[in-house]
Amino acid sequence: MIILKDIKKSFNKSQVLRGINLKINRGEVVTILGPSGSGKTTLLRCLNFLERPEAGIVQIGNIQVNAKNATKKDMLSVRKQSAMVFQHYNLFAHKTVIENVMEGLVVVKKVKKREARIESEKVLEKVGLSDKLHFYPSQLSGGQQQRVGIARALALNPEVILFDEPTSALDPELVGEVLSVIKEIAQDGITMVVVTHEMSFAKEVSDRVLFMDGGVIVEEGTPLEIFHAPKEERTRRFLHRISGESFFTALKEQVN
Amino acid sequence: MTIDLPFIWIAFKEIIKALPITLILTIVPLLVGFLIGIIVALVRIYKTRFVYQAANGYVSFFRGTPIIMHIMVIYYGIPLLVDQVASKFNLNIQSSKIPIILFVLTALSLAAGAYLSEIIRSGIISVSTGQLESAYSVGMTKIQAMFRIVLPQALAQSVPNFTNIFIGFLHTSSIAFLVSEKELTGAANIVASTNLKFLEAFIAAGIIYWGLTIIVEGISFLLEKRVTSYSRGGVS
Amino acid sequence: MGKAFDPLLIIEFLPTLLHYLGVTLEILAASIFLGLILGVAAAIPRLFKIPFLNQLVILYVSFIRGTPILIQLFLVFYGLPAILMIFNIDISKLEAIYFVIITYAISNGASFSEIFRGAIRAVDKGQTEAAYSVGMTSTQNFFRIVLPQALRIAFPNMANSFIGSLKDTSLAFSIGVMDMVGRGDTLISATAHALEVYITLSIIYYAVVLLFEKIFNKLEKHFNRYQSADLSVAA
Repeated sequence: MIILKDIKKSFNKSQVLRGINLKINRGEVVTILGPSGSGKTTLLRCLNFLERPEAGIVQIGNIQVNAKNATKKDMLSVRKQSAMVFQHYNLFAHKTVIENVMEGLVVVKKVKKREARIESEKVLEKVGLSDKLHFYPSQLSGGQQQRVGIARALALNPEVILFDEPTSALDPELVGEVLSVIKEIAQDGITMVVVTHEMSFAKEVSDRVLFMDGGVIVEEGTPLEIFHAPKEERTRRFLHRISGESFFTALKEQVN
Repeated sequence: MTIDLPFIWIAFKEIIKALPITLILTIVPLLVGFLIGIIVALVRIYKTRFVYQAANGYVSFFRGTPIIMHIMVIYYGIPLLVDQVASKFNLNIQSSKIPIILFVLTALSLAAGAYLSEIIRSGIISVSTGQLESAYSVGMTKIQAMFRIVLPQALAQSVPNFTNIFIGFLHTSSIAFLVSEKELTGAANIVASTNLKFLEAFIAAGIIYWGLTIIVEGISFLLEKRVTSYSRGGVS
Repeated sequence: MGKAFDPLLIIEFLPTLLHYLGVTLEILAASIFLGLILGVAAAIPRLFKIPFLNQLVILYVSFIRGTPILIQLFLVFYGLPAILMIFNIDISKLEAIYFVIITYAISNGASFSEIFRGAIRAVDKGQTEAAYSVGMTSTQNFFRIVLPQALRIAFPNMANSFIGSLKDTSLAFSIGVMDMVGRGDTLISATAHALEVYITLSIIYYAVVLLFEKIFNKLEKHFNRYQSADLSVAA
């Protein structure tokens, strides 16, 4: 379970998060939508303290931290509750695929190397990369790298997996393979928070959709509520602007 | 043994009189070297027949051997050459009349040419081919494209590297002391030996070089800002 | 310059001078090794912004990069005994070669610390974020993720520094070290064939530099074998 209470964050005098309150239940898949600058990525990064909020409480599982007087130890313990999939994959460049997935298990969770290897191979099979175990990131396509990134997060079996625009940096024809992996994971019942621009994906997979704008959560609800019956004007405007794009995205997914 | 601090200042005032020679030993080789460097860089880029290997050899040799060797070989070699040529053609040139500083300047210029050609060459390569292509597309010749479009950008981007070379040769001028040139280090040695205050004299010399280096770095910083202002604010 | 130029002497002088190449390489090896330790020690205050030590290192690096190596040689040669005298340590009988090694170590240390600092900062920030996202501490991140990649980035500059230091050793004779150039000097006094001696020395230096350049090139290729420039490989 994830609870955010009154999260505030500023960068250089401008307030990016103006008091966010949020509760996510176990097994929920929550998608965060919004225009750039709305604070959605910052919010995601506050969940694992890659950004440090000025005020508010972050709770993941049974670890609760008050952002104001959070020590390094506090931040570390919250981080261990989650795992992140990055827009630019951020695979460890000097390690092979299998080493990338094992790294967190061995170094952070102190799992024995042999067990870590078995676990990693399992997870890599799930994302369809069993034949690339000893490749280096530079030898893989973007889609393959991102799937390794997902495997790396999965292997840690965290309370929640955070996705920061996981397909935004991919060539269009590679987006599909990554989205289907993420869909599978969602169906397995893993708690997920996803920041994305892929509207049809959000519609298909989310249990709940959040729309953010100007540092606040403007509206939240089920995909049906948000996409077909938005209550707020800002939500409507955003969806209207995006509707052109999502039309083409739907076409692309059909072609794939 | 204690340090005579006031003497450092006295030494400073005496040593700094040799600054002009140091500057000559720095700037002249760099100017001559720059001309050599452009020619050599272009030869290496366009792989001009016959001269290309020679250019490679020249750069490789002068960057691969210590500068003291260059100075010594030229210092001992040129006079022999001059004497041979003079006796063959019955010219009235005596090698012993040639001022030593010319030998030093020749050696340093050849070395500078090698180092500068590398900087210019890598600067030219780093200018994107798109620039060349658009130059051709508006009808410029190879030479026009090179001198009007590519070279200016290459040089502007290379300001930090040029600064490093300038400072490098400023320091290298101190080697001329070993062939009795009265530049800063030579002057320091004289002050040191005359007064038997070696440490103080060389501290003064060190401060002078340090100060000069900092000034050069400051000028370079301002120069770089001005000269690359065209690429500000964009993502290249 | 009286005697005639005799090219055969160049060949004759080779073995005599090569005999002392070992001394030159010893000086190089010792000063590089000590310089590495010094370089790491100096990079740390800069990277972690330790107050006072940070400023000290900035001053140290600025001075070394601001003065000729010859001046540094003289400063260590005349200054070190004077400083140690304050602690009642008398090193006036110390052989010149140790002053040379100390000077070059101090000089290399400054270059290396700047190279290390640049290389560490050049490692993509995303690598560190990924490390933190799987729960690593900053120490784990530094040693397991950042440092290995920084070493690869630093390597070409380190190789250049190494070769630069090799060329700098040619100045050691000025404070009386009996290395290759020093032996060359005595050869000149004996035979008055200065030009041939210096040509021979140049050839030896050139050959050694070329050899090291080849080795470093091979090493660099080896370190970069998993970096491909083209990332658009089909799935």
